[in-house]
Amino acid sequence: MTEAGLTCESVKEINGEQVLDVEVTANRPDWMSVLGVAREVAAIQGLPTKFNEPKKLPKPSKSLPIKLNIDFELFDRWVGVVMTNIQIKPSPKWLQDKILSMNARPINNIIDITNYVMYMLGIPMHAFDYDEIRGTEMTVLKAKGGEDFTSVDSLSYKLPKDAMIIRDTERLIDLAGIKGGLNSGIKNETNKVFLHVTINNPVSIRRTSIKLGLRSEASAIYERVPDKGGVLRALTLAANLAMELAGGKISSEIIDIKKSKFEPWKLILTFERLNRVLGIKIPEKDVFKILSKLNFSPLKIKGGIDCTIPTYRGDIKIEEDLAEEVARIYGYNKFPMTLPSGATNPLEIPYYFDDTFINGLKEMMVASGYTETMTLSLLSKELIEKAGGKAENHVKLINPVSSDYEYLRTSLVPSLIPALKLNNTEKLCLFEIDKVYQKNSGKFDEVYKIAAITRGITFRQFKSIIDLILSRLNIRNYKVEFDSTKSYLHPSISSSISLNKKILIDYGQLHPEVLEGFKLDGEVFVFEGDVSNLKLFTKNSVFKSVPENPPQIEDLTLVLPEKTRIGEILNLVSDFSNLIDHVELKDVYKDSYTFRIWYQDAEKTLTNLDVENIRNGIIAFVKTKFGATINEG
Amino acid sequence: MQDEIISLKNEALAQISSVASVTELEEIRAAYLGRNGKFTLLAKKIIDIPPEGRKTFGITLNESKIAIENLISDKKQELFKKSTEKRIWFDMSMPGTISEIGHYHPMTIVLKEVKQIFNYLGYQVADGPEIENDYYNFEALNIPKDHPSRDTQMTFYVETGGTKPAGETILRTQTSAMQGRVMSKMKPPFKVLVPGRNFRYEQVDASHGFEFWQVEGFVVDENIHLTDLFGTINYVLQKLFGKDIKTRFATTNFPFVEPGVDTYLQCTICKGKGCSFCKGTGWSEIMPAGMIHPNVLKEAKIDTKKWNGFAFAIGLSRIVNLRYQIKDLRTLTTPDMRILSQF
Repeated sequence: MTEAGLTCESVKEINGEQVLDVEVTANRPDWMSVLGVAREVAAIQGLPTKFNEPKKLPKPSKSLPIKLNIDFELFDRWVGVVMTNIQIKPSPKWLQDKILSMNARPINNIIDITNYVMYMLGIPMHAFDYDEIRGTEMTVLKAKGGEDFTSVDSLSYKLPKDAMIIRDTERLIDLAGIKGGLNSGIKNETNKVFLHVTINNPVSIRRTSIKLGLRSEASAIYERVPDKGGVLRALTLAANLAMELAGGKISSEIIDIKKSKFEPWKLILTFERLNRVLGIKIPEKDVFKILSKLNFSPLKIKGGIDCTIPTYRGDIKIEEDLAEEVARIYGYNKFPMTLPSGATNPLEIPYYFDDTFINGLKEMMVASGYTETMTLSLLSKELIEKAGGKAENHVKLINPVSSDYEYLRTSLVPSLIPALKLNNTEKLCLFEIDKVYQKNSGKFDEVYKIAAITRGITFRQFKSIIDLILSRLNIRNYKVEFDSTKSYLHPSISSSISLNKKILIDYGQLHPEVLEGFKLDGEVFVFEGDVSNLKLFTKNSVFKSVPENPPQIEDLTLVLPEKTRIGEILNLVSDFSNLIDHVELKDVYKDSYTFRIWYQDAEKTLTNLDVENIRNGIIAFVKTKFGATINEG
Repeated sequence: MQDEIISLKNEALAQISSVASVTELEEIRAAYLGRNGKFTLLAKKIIDIPPEGRKTFGITLNESKIAIENLISDKKQELFKKSTEKRIWFDMSMPGTISEIGHYHPMTIVLKEVKQIFNYLGYQVADGPEIENDYYNFEALNIPKDHPSRDTQMTFYVETGGTKPAGETILRTQTSAMQGRVMSKMKPPFKVLVPGRNFRYEQVDASHGFEFWQVEGFVVDENIHLTDLFGTINYVLQKLFGKDIKTRFATTNFPFVEPGVDTYLQCTICKGKGCSFCKGTGWSEIMPAGMIHPNVLKEAKIDTKKWNGFAFAIGLSRIVNLRYQIKDLRTLTTPDMRILSQF
């Protein structure tokens, strides 16, 4: 059964009977009935279903009035009949057992009959106490909103606007399709009933049900639309049982007001379409057999099969629906497995995404000892503010799960900070590359960022990852500001690296207020970079051929005044001459900085004099520009 | 004098014989033949010898020196040979120093594998917005407003401050939302893979979160068959979980596919016997799929007489779960090194 679509969750034995628990998909309201499940099993196993059509109702012994005012926007069909001489008493054991087996409570014969019909045929129905229908007139209409309603379960509700209700000439007596009203419900003294079956607007049922937070077995079926062509049979079955079990007598004509005829419809399944959808050619006679088992009354025509779809299969509308029926009864697991045979289209698709760049960044981070983490996109106002941000800059949800997850992040950093509390290690290096969500005057942008957080490493160790990223991406000549717009960074220990006015990376120490807000301590460093800006300025490196002659390597120790930017010195000394290959900071001791300089000429070996000249030039330069003095010692 | 040389030579030879290391050898060489070595000092005493005896003295001295050098050389060889035999103790089991390399997140690892598998099949990767329209997320997928199947995907609505109609801007509940976006902007044929984050209003527990990752795939071409869908699903699952895994297909219903397919994978942990992981059934649902509903194609203005296609989705977190046997989904978004360092 599960393979063919009706998932069987469990089979249990209750009172000597096998009870199946099945999961019904939204498209098969007909499965919400014993008859529906029986038909399905019959179709799979090729067996007939045994269902005795209820006997035609006798002519009414007398004619009691009942006027029904329909609104075709609310009801597609309204059928009903009046019965008198009703004796309300407990149902016989067989009926009570059937009700109990559906996990419901037997109440009395009439109410149990209406539930029994619903379980058997999948069509909900209701029994009114006829004498409570004031003016013997019923009107279906939309509630204005705010009306009081007490259900048959004695629960009170205030109805939402546009709820579907039935009124008699004086009052509200029914919340159509969801719950009957207490005032018009069956009581022990009831001796006349009005049995009715309706086909209700599923959207209205669903909306009202959601607004009230009230669902019933009936409303669940109505949302999916029961068999519009089966209502008369349902009414007839119920009336017959009422005659048998409650002594009832038919006391009116059967009323049937309908929007259209609701009869079976024709649908042709072509073999061409069937074979194309399936990919195999099931022999025509087998297709015919399957459609027959499903009660589609197949007729052979040229190139296909002409089917007549019964009204309880409201889900069969197009050829593909029939193709699915054939395939599922044939058995999905009998199909061979192939791969699409079409050629690959080399044209780039819209929204094409190349993750090579991001993968390269991840590789650099992991190789440098950082571990990748993934955090949630949603966060709380509290977390935003603790990290120094403002909630109103963030995209907000109207219906969050809770206030903990009300906003979409504009930065990866706030969700990384709690990691410091979660981990007990002295050293911690985490990174994340993922989307943040920005709002700019009504427009929403989703932007990829890279962020990292560290504890237990020195500033220079932290800075090495930033240097690495920029150097491997060949990003040069960027501007370094000793300032940042990021409110989570320490005002004195923060920096922003940009190029052509685009910010590449913000980095620095975590703001002491943020640290405190999270009850953390220690030296915590953070950086956050914009992935597309980094990608924008990435260049391929041009290979530098390796010179045959060796470099001259010399150390130069400078004594530098306070507040000297070492980064700047390194850059400027590197660029000072073509004959300088590169410069590194080798050692720091108090205010003495030892630089190691590689002197190299691609064409020839530099002489000591050559190097001396360049060195003197450097010394003069740093003396003037930075106020450096040479440490002779 | 001759005797002195001979006895000194014998002393040296004895010492050399009992040596255990090359360093010791060098020390002995220095002690006897070095600048201040015993033989060198002895050689200086040639002055004290009468001229007739000097020649013999010199010869004996030289012979002794040669003998010593030879023994040193032989001993060195012997010691070297010994050191390359298995006689020295060295603890090979000492743990190495702790490696400084970090870890990829398991979702990254699995996603990379998934992308590779689909690259091979000719799929291109697309990335689209998570803040989505109700239209692309539902209506373009044949799910009109108020359709009961929306119940299975409860939606988060986004505050737009009145700049957009109410209920239109949402967080996408399924990566299938990209179907409409791609299809309306490009003519078939194409094969598309969309990994991405989705949001659903759910109660959070061990197997459900309100943020989760899916990988969606869809193909539109002439003559796409159900057999192609079965074949693709089977191929991908075998590549992910091994050739021996068993899959079964069942019919299911989603508004945007017809026929609809659900894929069951035999539990990789208990091999179908039943365990807590698969809730005793031996199987777990893994890949909802189906032939793209003609309404979806028509909405994107694709001619359904010529083109058709299939679509499928797989939970990325689900693959990670099965691959690593992680029982609680929340583990994947917890930045705890005790978790992350296991990958």
